[in-house]
Amino acid sequence: MKENPKPHSIKKNSKPRSIKKNPKPRTLLNKRAIEPYIWLLPSIIMMGVLILVPIITVFQTSFSKISKAGVNKGFAKLDNYLWIFKQPAFRRTLMNTIVWTVVVVGVSTILGIILGLVLNEKFHGRKIVRAIVVFPWATALIIQSVIWKYIINADYGALNTLLLKLGIIKSNVNWTATPQMFFAWECFVGILVTVPFVTFCVLSGLQSIDASLYEAAEVDGASFWNKLFRVTLPLLMPSLTVSTVLNIIYVFNSFPIVWTISKGDPADMTHTLVTYLYKLSFTNQRVGEAAAVSVIGFMILAVCASIYMFMTLRAEKED
Amino acid sequence: MKTKKSPWSRVALYLFVFVVCIIILYPYFVMFTTAAKSNEEMYGNVLLPSVWQWSNFVDIWTEAPVFKYLLNSIIVAGGATFLAILCGIPAAYALSRMRFKGKAIFMGAVIMSQMFSPVVLLVGIYRLMTDMGLTNNLIGLILLNAAFNQAFAIWLLRGTFTSISSEMEQAAKIDGCGTVQALIRVLLPVAAPGIVTTLIFVFINSWNEYTIALTLISGDLLKPITVGINIFYGFNFIKWQYLFATSIFATIPVVILFLCIEKHLVSGLTSGGVKG
Repeated sequence: MKENPKPHSIKKNSKPRSIKKNPKPRTLLNKRAIEPYIWLLPSIIMMGVLILVPIITVFQTSFSKISKAGVNKGFAKLDNYLWIFKQPAFRRTLMNTIVWTVVVVGVSTILGIILGLVLNEKFHGRKIVRAIVVFPWATALIIQSVIWKYIINADYGALNTLLLKLGIIKSNVNWTATPQMFFAWECFVGILVTVPFVTFCVLSGLQSIDASLYEAAEVDGASFWNKLFRVTLPLLMPSLTVSTVLNIIYVFNSFPIVWTISKGDPADMTHTLVTYLYKLSFTNQRVGEAAAVSVIGFMILAVCASIYMFMTLRAEKED
Repeated sequence: MKTKKSPWSRVALYLFVFVVCIIILYPYFVMFTTAAKSNEEMYGNVLLPSVWQWSNFVDIWTEAPVFKYLLNSIIVAGGATFLAILCGIPAAYALSRMRFKGKAIFMGAVIMSQMFSPVVLLVGIYRLMTDMGLTNNLIGLILLNAAFNQAFAIWLLRGTFTSISSEMEQAAKIDGCGTVQALIRVLLPVAAPGIVTTLIFVFINSWNEYTIALTLISGDLLKPITVGINIFYGFNFIKWQYLFATSIFATIPVVILFLCIEKHLVSGLTSGGVKG
């Protein structure tokens, strides 16, 4: 972008006025200043129309009175929010969402670190194991969820069959007797599908650690745990930050697992925010209230996303 | 980590790996064996089918428009991938090669946009698609999948472009190439591995997408496979064997694609996210 665009400047220079006012031809300056935005334009239009417009609509809707038929009956002040906070189901949902996000992301991160460290060792069959660990990540969430719904079915589920054949249980066990048990299974499936991403982030982080650091630590007589906590984990922090923040967003927004396995039932006890808003909007036709739930969800995620953005951009400046 | 390995730590390692593999593979084992069971054995606590009903894998194609579902998935995922890359390449190019005002803001917006999953925006998306007349339309799904994968596409592509030196493009420009030509003729061929990774990643994400399609598509012949499998979910009973046989067809292609890009993808995601 450094060459001087001569042909145009000759044209412009024929007008003495432009020389006086501005030594560089103005239109060209504009063209070069505008150029990057032209390159960004397709993507800005696409994201603007398909992401930004719905965001605005959601905010508007959350402050509007929407009839069951979907007609907007004007400004509703904070009515939708007040209604939402009065619902016991919403309060439970909020708690569930926090438990769901913290448990799934927390446990997945710990397991992912362990699995990543193990897969970084050399052993027979490592490539096959690495490939197997990819499976849950690549499989559609809805398909994983459906399979687990079948596995834990109380009457004919595969888990009961397996345990019966192994002689561990004598008769079918109801794995989902209480809402808590339902929810625990959903967390389990959530962890299962989240661990691979953490594992591979850890693996890629480990590859960038200089082996000489370990040699130096060994010369100093560092034990296994010393090396783990003083060398490996601190150097893994950048990869772990990315995986954790992205996972918080994904898990918070994850819909298919809960929707498939329990639909938020029994008695709306196992909802997370997204399944609750889906049910409000598309089953109960409470669109305004559902939009309010969305906005509350944004608020929670916005805090996480700004932390992520802050850290990403800061890391960039350090480069 | 290099540690002196005692035989016991070896045993523990293999045991751990073994247990992990069992847990991960168990649902796939259930999917395969159940897909080949007869309807009676489905509900009879049978571990392996006594007679493997391979016919299930044939029957699904006539029991339900499975072929149409798969075709819809290919159209949606293919279209979304094409669109996301088509818009993503110029944006990533500008971000990696040009200086301009508002670059940091745009980058911030790209990162922030990852926070809005389609689910939390469903109320707004549904309204928008109704206004545009794109509910129950594959084009709507293509547009939405492309938009919600745009951030990742830009991120991965920008990481790839930044890792490639701009010297060759500058040389090409001195030889009289325009910026667009330099991009197409010089940069894109060198960046091909990164572009393929991005392509496959967006394709898989769109293929596996469930919530938007569930909400927007009501016509049975327009459903992609992830929503289409619900057809085996009757009011009274579920045809698990068909559900799983179909799921196998929906899963195998994406798992294979994923295995191809796994190495590039992870380094792209983390380095794109942290270092740029």
